[in-house]
Amino acid sequence: MKPKAIILRGTGTNCDIETFNSFKYVGAEPELVHINQLLSGEKQVLDYSIMAFPGGFSYGDDISAGKIYAVKMGRLSADFGKFIKDKRPVIGICNGFQILVKTGFLPENKANAQVSTLYTNDCGHFVAKWIKVRINKKSPCLFTKGLPDEIELPIAHGEGKFIIEDKKILSDLLAGELHAMTYSENPNGSMRGIAGITNPAGTCFGLMPHPERNFYAWQNPDRPAAAREALAAGCQFFKNAVDYVK
Amino acid sequence: MTDLLSNFTSLSKKQLAELDGTCGWSLSALELAEVQRQFRGMGRQPSRGELETIAQTWSEHCKHKTFSGPVAFRAGGRVKKYKNLFKETIVRATRKLNKKWCLSVFTDNAGIVQFGKSGKWGLAFKAETHNHPCAVEPYGGAETGVGGVIRDILGVGLGAKPVLNTDSFCFGYPDSKKKLPGNSHPPERIMRGVVEGVRDYGNRMGIPTAAGGIYFDDGYLLNPLVYVGCAGLIPVEKIAKKVMPGDLIVSIGGRTGRDGIHGATFSSANIEEDTSASAVQIGHAINEKKTLDVLMRARDLGLYNAVTDCGAGGFSSAIGELGSQTGARVRLENAQLKDSLIEPWEIWVSESQERMILSVPKARLAGLEAILKAESCDYCVLGTFPGNGRLLVTHGAAKVVDLPMAFLHGGVPNFEKPARRRKVKISAKKPARPAKSYGRILKAMLAHPNVCSRHSVINQYDHEVQGGTVIKPMQGKYGDGPGDAAVIWPQAATLDLSDFSGFAVSHGFNPAAGKLDPYQMALHSVDEAVRNLLCVGAEISRTAILDNFCAASPRDPEVMGDLVLAAEGCHDAAMAYGAPFISGKDSFYNQAKDAGGNEYPIPISLLISATAPVEDIRKAITMNFKEAGSSVYLAGVSRGGMGGSVYNDMAACGNNFISPLDMKAAVRLYTGVLKAIKSGCVPAAHDVSQGGLAVTLAEMAFSGGFGAEIDLCDAKREDGLTPLELLFGESPARLVLEVVPGKEHEFLKLVRGLPVSKIGCVRDSLVLEVRDAGARLFREDLSQLKKSWKRELI
Repeated sequence: MKPKAIILRGTGTNCDIETFNSFKYVGAEPELVHINQLLSGEKQVLDYSIMAFPGGFSYGDDISAGKIYAVKMGRLSADFGKFIKDKRPVIGICNGFQILVKTGFLPENKANAQVSTLYTNDCGHFVAKWIKVRINKKSPCLFTKGLPDEIELPIAHGEGKFIIEDKKILSDLLAGELHAMTYSENPNGSMRGIAGITNPAGTCFGLMPHPERNFYAWQNPDRPAAAREALAAGCQFFKNAVDYVK
Repeated sequence: MTDLLSNFTSLSKKQLAELDGTCGWSLSALELAEVQRQFRGMGRQPSRGELETIAQTWSEHCKHKTFSGPVAFRAGGRVKKYKNLFKETIVRATRKLNKKWCLSVFTDNAGIVQFGKSGKWGLAFKAETHNHPCAVEPYGGAETGVGGVIRDILGVGLGAKPVLNTDSFCFGYPDSKKKLPGNSHPPERIMRGVVEGVRDYGNRMGIPTAAGGIYFDDGYLLNPLVYVGCAGLIPVEKIAKKVMPGDLIVSIGGRTGRDGIHGATFSSANIEEDTSASAVQIGHAINEKKTLDVLMRARDLGLYNAVTDCGAGGFSSAIGELGSQTGARVRLENAQLKDSLIEPWEIWVSESQERMILSVPKARLAGLEAILKAESCDYCVLGTFPGNGRLLVTHGAAKVVDLPMAFLHGGVPNFEKPARRRKVKISAKKPARPAKSYGRILKAMLAHPNVCSRHSVINQYDHEVQGGTVIKPMQGKYGDGPGDAAVIWPQAATLDLSDFSGFAVSHGFNPAAGKLDPYQMALHSVDEAVRNLLCVGAEISRTAILDNFCAASPRDPEVMGDLVLAAEGCHDAAMAYGAPFISGKDSFYNQAKDAGGNEYPIPISLLISATAPVEDIRKAITMNFKEAGSSVYLAGVSRGGMGGSVYNDMAACGNNFISPLDMKAAVRLYTGVLKAIKSGCVPAAHDVSQGGLAVTLAEMAFSGGFGAEIDLCDAKREDGLTPLELLFGESPARLVLEVVPGKEHEFLKLVRGLPVSKIGCVRDSLVLEVRDAGARLFREDLSQLKKSWKRELI
């Protein structure tokens, strides 16, 4: 049976359909679900085996990116908490990563409190471009398994500067190899060039770059792609999640 | 003013003009007299709401009186008369071409052509301008411009899903030395505001902004041009819409406020010192995103019979348009407001953003409401479409408008505008020999604002959301080469991951040529747009184009003359390239006074936006050199004339001749080149446009990380062409091709008999060397060339 993947939407989510398509391509059965449908009880997150928070500008990124969506999730934090504790795969891409950070699910901590943030890029504005990222091979992250040391992915964000104020939390994160992905050239001023982090179980992963935009070789700015393989590095992230739950 | 209003039918001409000025209607004396005559006939005084409705409906912005009106064009002692300039030029070409793949032209909010092989989809394409608002309030003006053109795509047929935004801007030079009047913004501030507006709105909407351009000329110092475009996919069975009598009028999306009162009428006049910023609307992208999400779901469930957007004129024009056959009964007290002090007539004409009007069968309202609530989208039921042909608008017990629709939509008087050819001195003498070396000229040219890199702007736009921007605005080895056209694979609209159909979008724009020869400008612009499509391997025999004219005051016969010539050029180019116009828009009165009180008109500005299908997006090509050892070919004949060139802008060489375009030869050439691209012989193609051949070669080289050794001795050229014209002339219908070593023989067979000649080879060494019959013209390091080019515009 195909694993069911919940692709969470809200007002202003805008990478939902390509994320949906990516999960569909690797053999999941994705479904787009609006946060309102969860809040009304029409849908339950625990009915799914994979969860994705796609990119976008949820609720306009008012207050700060992902904040309002995170607040809306508050009432359902028991369900989301159980989903993660069950080690069902969760991926937050861009605005999805911002949501996971603002909810306190990432970096994982006992109090479930927000201990880090993704702040306005050092350049002061939104940036969309292709960059190189390094994959931390020692990381428990299940999404990045089997990827080469360095891959290309596009970024597209205004608030991507990863900051942890507490030195202890940062050193724990680094010691646990939870920084699954770092920028080869830091585009936003993130501490330690961190582009993506995971929970210690490796099942909950948030990242600023967009793997769904480097899913096929022909999405790369350096073409011709037709001469190469059809699939690109981004595909692996989604495939890993499906393989894990199968 | 109340006095004048209550005695409207007996006012003198002078009093009418005074009232028009106070109320900001921008109606002409003739139009005011016609309104007066109509109300005399009805035997009553009009209400403020009625006069406002008429002013909106009859405005230049809504009715396009100039372009679709009668014109008498005088040139060389002869007079040519047009009854309807637009219909007799642009529309006429489309009618004559009569392409089966055109599904909807000139009737709806956007043009629609067939998309893909399945026969299930149509591609809607539209471009708009938002010039006047951007002159007054650049950020808000640009935001709401983007929002407006997206709503055109949402409001075409029963709604298309936007998959691409385009934007093309014209500004004064950021370092312009001209003295500006106190009320104007410096060009750099306008540029920053506009870019930020497009960024913040487009990015939040989740639509990739992936095509367009930026053009600098001091003619745009006081009147920047902001062209915004949008393309979307629509199922073919959702193209037809019809309001049924008895349907409910439902407004969804944003609320109504006092922002944007008189936007339509204000953009139908020149900008003056006291122009009010309240005429510019306030944007809220997230409201529009909700509207988009609701609309796509409701469309697929068939919950409404018709839809259109609230643009200029607000409810008055949207409801007026939808109800033009059925009439409309509107109760304004039902409107959701964001301002409690708003007058009823203001609710009726407010141009508050993010609103769409749906025509909903009563039985479907509950279904629609469920979706609106699920997406947290505001809405209100404003009334019904009764079927009696009458427009009745009330607010509680008060009557705001009570008029027959026929008067509103049929009554507008029009008068003949005089037009004449502008007198321009053209010199075709040999261009003066440059004082600087060709290498230095090239570096200066690469740094010219009209040539240099746009990365600092493009990087601020999310040009890849939806995961379908296959050919990006920046491409090549370093992801920064300047692309010719964007190619979109609309996976987020079709959801079909095994269908590799896509479409390309490009532009052609050349106001520098328009100053010298508006007719040739139109030809060159269409040619450039088609050639850009060719450069990515699009099916150019299926090109569809949009015209967006911007001009100064049409009261000036020379401005009208420019327009006539450009429109005739559009007609002739459409016929020659077999490329029908499917939609268009015009914006006049782009004129303002400078500090000294002198009139500052913009040059005639025609943006051609073009789209063509890409059969297999995986095979689309980019512009950078791919492999050392490849051959470099120049397709097309280089001709004399430096008119309209970047070179002349940097250092006038005494020659301002524009070489006429041989369109038949161009079409023959492009057909052959497309065959070669499709056969896989050509991994890179780049057009020769601004800056000429030297710039094209430099861009292909530094974007690919390969040098090239070029000798132009075999390049096809007009007799007696100087090296300056060969390197930096901008004669049209030329492109540079890279040809894979093993496929040169096949390539030559496919282009046999065409003016295509080998000019050199791609090399590993990072140097661009160009010779002419052995004599070196320049030899430059790629790093130096790229350094000059890669400037931070913003």
